[in-house]
Amino acid sequence: MRPFMQNMRGMSTLPVLLTVVAVIALFLLPNFVESTYALHIMILIFISVIMGSGWNILGGYTGQYSVGHAAYFGVGAYTTIVLMQYQNIAPWYGVWAGIVVAVAIALIIGSICFRLRGPYFVLASIAVAEIFRVTALNLKKLTNGAEGILITDIPPFKIGDIVITDFMSKIPFYYIGLVTLIIAIIVTWILQNSKLGYYFQAIREDQDAAHSLGINLTVYKNVALAFSVVFTSLAGSLYGLYVGFIDPTTVLALDLSVQIVMICIIGGIGTIFGPVIGAVVLVPFSEALRSNMIAQALIDSGLVNENSGVGTFLKEQLSHAHVLIYGILLVVVILFMPDGILGFIRKKLSAKQRKEAI
Amino acid sequence: MAVFLQSMISGILIGGVYALIGIGLTIIFGVMRVINFAHGDLLMIGMYMTYFLFALLHIDPFVSIIVTIPMMFLFGAFLQKVFINRVLGALPQNQILLTIGMGLVMSNAVMLAFTSDYKILSTTYSSASFNVLGISISSPLLISFAITIAITLALYWFLYRTDTGQAIRATAQDRDAAQLMGINVKRMSIIAFGMGAALAGTAGALISPTYYIFPQVGSVFTLKAFVITVLGGMGSIVGATLGGVIIGVAESVGGVYFGSGWKDVIVFILFLLVLLFKPSGLLGTSKD
Amino acid sequence: MAILEIKHVSKFFGGLAANSDVSFEMVTGMIMGLIGPNGAGKTTLFNCITGYYPPSRGEILFDGHRMNGLNPDAVCKLGMARTWQKVRPLAKMSVVDNVMVGALCRTNSLKKARDMAMEKIKVVGLEKRVKVLAGSLPIGERKKLEVARVLATKPKLLLLDEVMGGLNPAESEEIIQLILDIKNLGITQMVIEHDMKAIMRISDRIVVLNSGEKLAEGNPQEIVSNKAVVDAYLGGE
Repeated sequence: MRPFMQNMRGMSTLPVLLTVVAVIALFLLPNFVESTYALHIMILIFISVIMGSGWNILGGYTGQYSVGHAAYFGVGAYTTIVLMQYQNIAPWYGVWAGIVVAVAIALIIGSICFRLRGPYFVLASIAVAEIFRVTALNLKKLTNGAEGILITDIPPFKIGDIVITDFMSKIPFYYIGLVTLIIAIIVTWILQNSKLGYYFQAIREDQDAAHSLGINLTVYKNVALAFSVVFTSLAGSLYGLYVGFIDPTTVLALDLSVQIVMICIIGGIGTIFGPVIGAVVLVPFSEALRSNMIAQALIDSGLVNENSGVGTFLKEQLSHAHVLIYGILLVVVILFMPDGILGFIRKKLSAKQRKEAI
Repeated sequence: MAVFLQSMISGILIGGVYALIGIGLTIIFGVMRVINFAHGDLLMIGMYMTYFLFALLHIDPFVSIIVTIPMMFLFGAFLQKVFINRVLGALPQNQILLTIGMGLVMSNAVMLAFTSDYKILSTTYSSASFNVLGISISSPLLISFAITIAITLALYWFLYRTDTGQAIRATAQDRDAAQLMGINVKRMSIIAFGMGAALAGTAGALISPTYYIFPQVGSVFTLKAFVITVLGGMGSIVGATLGGVIIGVAESVGGVYFGSGWKDVIVFILFLLVLLFKPSGLLGTSKD
Repeated sequence: MAILEIKHVSKFFGGLAANSDVSFEMVTGMIMGLIGPNGAGKTTLFNCITGYYPPSRGEILFDGHRMNGLNPDAVCKLGMARTWQKVRPLAKMSVVDNVMVGALCRTNSLKKARDMAMEKIKVVGLEKRVKVLAGSLPIGERKKLEVARVLATKPKLLLLDEVMGGLNPAESEEIIQLILDIKNLGITQMVIEHDMKAIMRISDRIVVLNSGEKLAEGNPQEIVSNKAVVDAYLGGE
């Protein structure tokens, strides 16, 4: 098994083939799947992978655990939506504006916060995100405060006179999400196998050693941050356009920041496909909880009697419990699988490697 | 001027309670170097405990502290033994994530059990106040403040005058050296977390007559607790005491002059400034 | 021509003078031994020289450049590299990737970095461990890895901080050979060591620190017969 850095180089044909097949399958999926609900889940998964990949570059590869990435998600969402609703600027320009604003803010914050180490950096990132959230709540003229902004209509996307899409169905969001996701994964792959990737990981492993090997910490941390924020902000813009409604509690909250981190932790931080695995596990699970599917399944399968105390409790309350389960999941993963699913596999294989090396 | 004095006094009174929260957090950090992100949720549990003791058994909140303190201590000790202990050697980032997870479990379990409906604990004196020289002082806040002082004094006595207390301080100063001197650092960690939980729970009990009680109330206090401890210096109990009062006053005065919506932002900006310019805090003993 | 000039360097931590008015020079290609009892200020001096923190007083000149206050990454780019008393492997990265991080200081091409890394890995004798994760290496190999890594930064001056610490005699012997090989490559070295026999063998000159001050300077014979030095080592312990 290849060690950490050499994940993708010199790779055998099987994983590449599988990835290509998976991508093709995803592109063809809407032709075969009728259920809009399934498409909805896929879109949420795509958005989660994008924001997870974004965080992964800063947190997973460079070791700077921001638990305040909702700030950039929210800035992306608000910039794009506000420009569209109040200034009639089409979202395909608005997302770029969102990225520019988010990156600019991030670089300012980064240059201030990156001198902080470990837990202090985490705390600062949380404080920053909270400042954004409270500001969004209070700047009612700009953001409509706690009421949030409801999108009225997304302008149809035209090339010349031909309408490519009017954004009325889920399909355009599906493909936009898929393409963005693929770009995010490719960018992560390129970064991992570049000088930047080596430097990011050196910073993560031992900041002082990296510094003494000629690595300018501030510069490289900010580069990682910039890449990270681009994708997080994109995810936010996409989310806002898709769901059609944003407010500070949904796009700027600590819950969201924790969720972003969890996507990477569960899948495996600092790996290319970690965010994919994390999103694929987390999103359907939380949707199933939210929509009472799990409760219903337990009842339908006969494990739980619908009219019993447990049954009624599950039916009524389980949909509210998804954050509780997040919490439990987080505790369990940190205690027993801190390197995530991929890390767990990797550890088993490297233990074998160590045995062989001796 | 009267307004300013008024907000100062309210700030100091609430600052006392904040100090309790900060002291609890700083003890946990000092002894275990763990950043406890569930601290506010421990406060929330203290609030609910107090509420139910009052609603079901009609025990006055300021009296039920006698029950709340040991119960919260045991709860904290349990949490340390079962969960926190396992990550003492892990990356600090993972420790934070663990405590975040624990906090989420606590607040959401409470929400599931008792719904998010705001609960109000009103005693006969909940809104009572009295006038001193034209300044209105809230009675429950004053009583809390008095109890806070008593508890803080007892705490100082414990930490500086008893063997266990000195052992805890030794562990906080230098864990390895303390171990070499025969101190059971594992036991100290359990006691420290128990104390932290007890202090947080007590703070919750003390403010329950004057605050809305709901499951998510903890998160705001967690962040404030961090501001307080960082301001005062992580690991410094005197610092946390000072920090609590300063934050209480800053919040109160800031709220009057900038509007209550912005007062949280003021606290967070203060936090960032401290982190940036004097991360070891006013009285900190940063051994990072 | 002096490659390194330490001029009246002092470093204070609060009231404590960790280094006090230390002065000496190094010529290109030499091996300078830096010795002294524990707490004498040797690592502190290394840290000042390599930019970990600036000296409180005095000047540090490297190849004519004034080094005071330069950041560690700038120091490395100028051609000065150091190893650490407590080894710092980039644990989750493989041996070759560790050394590549060093090599990337001088090139942007991953291929060139890998070639350079393999060359240095051969110099230290870790060819068979190229793909092993650094965190899995035993202490002797970690030390070699650290040397390979700094060699990849193409230093003119190498500072080795107790690189033989914690090694058995066989491993120490390998390191001694390595240091001599590095000398043959033309790289100047300053070596902090507690192993007296090793220091005597490899050093051209020795500087002795005690309680932050320079106690003596000279070639190995002079140092070993210096009464003050002997007292410092025997008296204090």
